[in-house]
Amino acid sequence: MTTAAASDLVPATPNALALLLLAMADDEFVIGFSDSEWTGIAPLLEEDVAMSSIAQDELAHAQALFRLLADVVDDGRDADAIAYDRPADGYFHARLLDHARGDWAQTIARRFLYETADAVRLEALAGSSYLPLRDLVGKIRREERYHAMHITAWLERLASTAGEPRNRLLAALDRLALDAATVLAPLPDELSLLMAGVVDAPGSDLDARWRAAIAPVLARLKLPMPPPAADPPRARTDHSDAFRWLHGEFTSVRRLDPRAAW
Amino acid sequence: MQHGGSVLAPDAELAVHYARELFGRRQESVRLWIVRRADVHDLADPDLLDPPLDRSFKKPGGYVMRDKLAAARERSGRPKSSAGERRAAPRSSPDGSQ
Repeated sequence: MTTAAASDLVPATPNALALLLLAMADDEFVIGFSDSEWTGIAPLLEEDVAMSSIAQDELAHAQALFRLLADVVDDGRDADAIAYDRPADGYFHARLLDHARGDWAQTIARRFLYETADAVRLEALAGSSYLPLRDLVGKIRREERYHAMHITAWLERLASTAGEPRNRLLAALDRLALDAATVLAPLPDELSLLMAGVVDAPGSDLDARWRAAIAPVLARLKLPMPPPAADPPRARTDHSDAFRWLHGEFTSVRRLDPRAAW
Repeated sequence: MQHGGSVLAPDAELAVHYARELFGRRQESVRLWIVRRADVHDLADPDLLDPPLDRSFKKPGGYVMRDKLAAARERSGRPKSSAGERRAAPRSSPDGSQ
């Protein structure tokens, strides 16, 4: 039982573990739904298929993470109930994902910042002492490798095409700047995750790893490095109106009949 | 190997990504080759691909090798390879005749 595995760790961990899983699941869930807004209207047909498929991948990752979370909290809610039956204020995704998909450049900029941070987070979990998460992370990383290739290809093209593409990309990075580093902001009670070997480093180390990973890419493309997160304790709270709108969209079918079987 | 389809992409790198999404995302492919349309050379001439005269002698169906192979094995004293046995087994009748 995964619940037993969690409670075998140091006492404070189950709650910290639940917050870690919730943060990861909500991040994947929100960016998955937000990017799926491009279905039908992406810049070209092939990219429409690619972005929709990637968004679906993120939703599948979220579903798997919500299932782990349901085992850990063990309060009778299943993955769908956790995913859909919370008010907008109950979501725990990073503020970076609170921004609307915006124009194509903003979607690319947001996804680049998110994917690179998520890759660092997944790497820090690759040897996790919590075996269900370690197993899942191994699978997720195999898909995320392709997502990183895809988004870096797009970032390079927008950054190196003078005029509207580069100008829009710079404007998007500027709009996202203060929230860019929120994905790896320290989680509450992260010390117990460290002590139990669930993650291999504190959030501050992960932030440094992320910056070391993106610095050469951004320097090569003459793009600015993001500043530190404006307010790390609020990295996952006080969500935006853009997210409230998205929440209304992605819960609309569920609200029709929460007990319907799919 | 078969033609999967075509993609429109600004360059080779994105063409690879799009080919993967359009023709590989449902585990329907084990490998993809992506080439520019301009690099595909078409051969569709029926006189070259479907000659009007009898060419059945170019097909391997007329050559029965089984008996010759069995005789050769007997002479060499070596048994069939395991791969050969797997292939032959379903076609053997219980008394060993072919």
